[in-house]
Amino acid sequence: MIATVVDWDAIGQVVWVSLLSGVGVTAAWAFALLGWTRALEYGREGRAGEAVIYGVVGVAGLAIVLGAVVFGILILTGD
Amino acid sequence: MGSEIIVVIVVATALVFDFTNGFHDTANVVATSISTRAMPPKVAVGYAAVLNFVGAFISLEVAATVANDVVSVQANSVGLLAVFAGLVGAIAWNLITWYFGLPSSSSHALIGGMVGAVLVAEGADNVFFADGLVGKVIVPGIVAPILAFVVGGLAIVLIYGIIGRLRPGPVSGGFRLGQVISGGLLALAHGTNDAQKTMGVITLALVANGTISEAEFHVPDWVVVTSATAISLGTYVGGWRIIKTMGSRIHKMDAAQGFAAQGAGATVIMAASHVGFPLSTTQTISGAVIGSGAAKRVSAVRWGVAGNIVVAWVLTLPAAAAIGGVTFLITRAFGTGALGPIVVSTAIVASGVVLFARRSREGAAPGVVPAPGSSS
Repeated sequence: MIATVVDWDAIGQVVWVSLLSGVGVTAAWAFALLGWTRALEYGREGRAGEAVIYGVVGVAGLAIVLGAVVFGILILTGD
Repeated sequence: MGSEIIVVIVVATALVFDFTNGFHDTANVVATSISTRAMPPKVAVGYAAVLNFVGAFISLEVAATVANDVVSVQANSVGLLAVFAGLVGAIAWNLITWYFGLPSSSSHALIGGMVGAVLVAEGADNVFFADGLVGKVIVPGIVAPILAFVVGGLAIVLIYGIIGRLRPGPVSGGFRLGQVISGGLLALAHGTNDAQKTMGVITLALVANGTISEAEFHVPDWVVVTSATAISLGTYVGGWRIIKTMGSRIHKMDAAQGFAAQGAGATVIMAASHVGFPLSTTQTISGAVIGSGAAKRVSAVRWGVAGNIVVAWVLTLPAAAAIGGVTFLITRAFGTGALGPIVVSTAIVASGVVLFARRSREGAAPGVVPAPGSSS
């Protein structure tokens, strides 16, 4: 009976959106921190190449977080 | 004129319920940020209050579910009394559970109260047990805390894997900064889901009063603004009595765990709000906090909180429904005018004052830990 009355499409949407955004955004933030921290360390040690690569990782992580937040709010307000 | 007075009483009661919802839930929304020192308490509480207010404006799907999909009321005075009785049932159950230290859920109490009152007032045909209660409240309500647990757990495992052997100082600072975003999103999500429940109930009362046609359902702007204001004020006022509930009662958190828990709670609540599921936000946040703790060290989690959620599930819906039904019968005994709601409102306010006074004299009952699940 439950199988027929529950909107499994909606629940499935909640599950995949939560997993993707909840796990993905926190991971992206962790990458942003990893990138910035390592970029600063390598920058101080004069290893410019590694510093730039990690800097790009940091910027990409931050961009993903901010983009996901803005996108999520736009989706919600688009109701 | 009588029905207008009842509408005013119902709206006022619903807004009081909304205020107490915000009052209770401040702890859930801000305790994680405060316990990890991501934000000073005053800033965290003010920030949460503002974002609760904003959150109430970003969606109306949950309000539509509460007003249309769980129960249906006739556009007459009996329907209006049923909405009133449902609200009183929820408030009475919240008062009882608060006094005795029992775990509860304001959201489930509200839904349960409405179902019980409408069942008695209008019969089983007007309660949508299968599609509404089971399909849109109970099953999503069970899925949400479990999902938040999984998301919080996976997130923290990934975070620890990514940051690896970085020096803790800058990393902790970075996650505290992240908590400004994740805590804000959690407050936004809370305002979105919880304020809409009140909007749904007020709109249901307006349908029962004939102010809004069921065929042309919409939530009036003044309902959105007043509900947003009530939950936001409740959040702000409630902030001054909290702080420990979620963050440290469940387990000691570091900034990364706080970030993961808030992010998990916010995403689950927002995704559910988007499809119109009225959740227990407290239980969802609890699930996320427990998940982020369990992934690090299972023994660090106070699993009694998870048990409280189960107890709250078993108790709240039927108990609030029973009180809602009995309240309708009492209210109806005074006729279909405003006298019943006036008498019952006075009685519930007096009961609240007596319980507050007794509780103040007694202090917290020994051994009773107000559960994080004791709110929405």
